Order: sequence, then C-alpha cells, then structure tokens
Amino acid sequence: MNAIPCLTIEDVANLDGVLGDFLQKAEAELTVVIDRGGNVISQFGDMTVMDVTIIAALAAGSFAATKELARRIGEVEFNALYHQGNGNHIFMNSVDDDTIMITVFGKRTTVGLVRFYSASTAQSVAALLKALSNTGHGFSFDASDITSTPIFAGQ
Amino acid sequence: MSIINYASREIQFKIVYYGPALCGKTTNLDYIHKRINPENRGDLVSLATAADRTLFFDFLPLNAVVIKGFVTKFQLYTVPGQVIYNATRQLVLRSVDGIVFVADSQWEKMEENVESFKNLEDNLAKQNISIDEIPYVIQYNKRDLESIAPVNYLEYVLNNRKRRVQSFEVISSTGQNVFASLNAVSQILLHKFSKQSDVPKTAPRPVAIPVEPPAMARKENAAV
Repeated sequence: MNAIPCLTIEDVANLDGVLGDFLQKAEAELTVVIDRGGNVISQFGDMTVMDVTIIAALAAGSFAATKELARRIGEVEFNALYHQGNGNHIFMNSVDDDTIMITVFGKRTTVGLVRFYSASTAQSVAALLKALSNTGHGFSFDASDITSTPIFAGQ
Repeated sequence: MSIINYASREIQFKIVYYGPALCGKTTNLDYIHKRINPENRGDLVSLATAADRTLFFDFLPLNAVVIKGFVTKFQLYTVPGQVIYNATRQLVLRSVDGIVFVADSQWEKMEENVESFKNLEDNLAKQNISIDEIPYVIQYNKRDLESIAPVNYLEYVLNNRKRRVQSFEVISSTGQNVFASLNAVSQILLHKFSKQSDVPKTAPRPVAIPVEPPAMARKENAAV
C-alpha cells in the first residue's frame, strides 16, 4: 500500500494563516503553493481570478523551463520569476527543492512589495511543509471505496 | 505525487501520455476533451508550434469520482515526442503518477517506438522510479492504417517485461479505446493507493483489447 501525503485541517489552517498574512501585507490578489510537478498544494485569495489548476501546470513548466537558462550563466536555477502584464502580473518564487509559490497581483501593489514579503513567506511555508513531511500523515483508500465501473465516460 | 489538502477535499493525480513523435498523444487528449462532459473538465491547454507540433506539453484537467468525500482530479499531460526535446520530457514527467504509452502501430515506426520506451525508462530512472513500479498501460495506435504490425508482434516488442501490462488497440482519431485506456490506467492508479491490494478488480489483460468493427476503424487515416 502507498499512502498519499496530506495536509490536515490544522496544517491547512497554519498555511492559510501564513498566506493570508502575506496577501494582506503585499496587497496581492491570490497566492498558490504548488509542487514542481504542477500540483496545487494550497491556495489563498480571490479564486475567481483564474483557473488555478491550469495556472499551476503552466507555472511549474515556466519555472522549470528557465532552469537551463540559469545554468548557462552559472546559476543552479532562478529563485524568482516575474511576468509583467498591462494590469495583472505574476510573481513566482522557489520555496524549497520541491515547491514553488505563485502570486498574482494587480495595480494595487508593486512587484517590489510582493518580492519583499514573498521571501519571508516562502521560508515560513518551507518550514511548515518540512514539519508536515516529518509527521508522516498519510491518506489511502480501502479497495472497497473504488468501484470497477469506468471512471470516465465520453458523450 | 501531490499532497492532499483536507480543506479543498481534492486528490490530484498526474497521468502522462508518452510516445514517439506523431504517434497520437495530442489526439488522445483532444478526443477526451471533446467527448467528456464539460462540467467534469477544464480547458485543454496546448503549448504547440505553428505547425501544431507539441513544443512543451498539452494539459487537460479532469474531475472524476468522489472517494471518501474527496474529489479525485486527474491531470493529463502529453510530452513532445521529438527526440531533441528530451529535457522537456523529463520536466513533464516530474511527479508523474501514471503513464499511457502511445505506440505507433506502423511497421516503419517500430524503431521509434522502442527508442521512446527506452527513453521513458531512462527518464523515470533519473527520478528514481522504475517502470516496473509505476502504473502504466500501452496503446497500439493507428490500427486503421494499412501498413501496421500485428498485435502479437507489438506485444513481443513493447510488452514483454516480467510484468505485462494492459494494452489496447486504439484509433485515437475516432476515439476507439481512448477512454478504455484512460479508465484502465486510472483504475490501476487508484488501487495503488488502496489499503488491501495493488491489483485492480478487473484483471490486467496481456493481449490488446481489439478495436470496434473494421468499417468504422478504416474510415479515416492517421492520428497526429
């Protein structure tokens, strides 16, 4: 049996506290913590801004794609990436070897403010996730929970 | 493998469609996107060249069954098949949970199929994952074309490991067995995380599941 690592209600509350505090200080719209495979770990803020699942997949790809560019100038990877739009922008920064934090913000704030607060937030998130991996919470199903009927059906 | 968030009550799984260039990976996702209930899927995102060749990946998020109060979400990715994009394939394989290997049934593509499968093994090994441990199924695609290898030959070439996996005769352009192979890998994946068994209730079939009647199968030519 393989268990899926999970965030308990308490873990989520702690993480939400850190992310909520960051959004308030940085005056950003939304922040999403993802793994480098593109899976969403946690999110906080205005979820109506976008489809978070797709943003996570694309952001993970974008972050990974620049790794080779970083190597060419003697870096292991870029710690942060900034995509500037006309009204909305995305800032991404590395949390740890497996995790990235994405922040979406608009005209209410500046990239400098987001960058400044995201550094300490990333450290807090990394500490929370590290503590999670040490506690060893896991989730798994009973075989009886899974039916043999097709999971997906076409129309 | 993702982390489950108890607050959002979602479990995410990542399935990657892997195979040689022009074998029909994107066509698989295209068909699934067109035919699945829009309420259960997100947008199909394609990062492709002007000539519709996959440059980075295609991505399709799907919502599926609810297990123990958690919605299972399957994220389908394709990789670029062209040999030069190996670094990209390694990136897309990161945190993969299940694989659909799409083989091109045409005789002339046999070497590319074998190379691509070997490349998959190598790229998984770089993540310390063995092909013998990860849930996967094989598609023998383009069964509607003339110059194709028989299934037993394809089985011998691509599915001749100690653990023989489920395989499917597929015509991705018409959708034959596209959902069957997706369902198979999804079931294997869910059972991997069940407490009682790693083996799905539906026993793996070592021989490819045939396509529907030939009249339908020969209607159009190759999937891209």
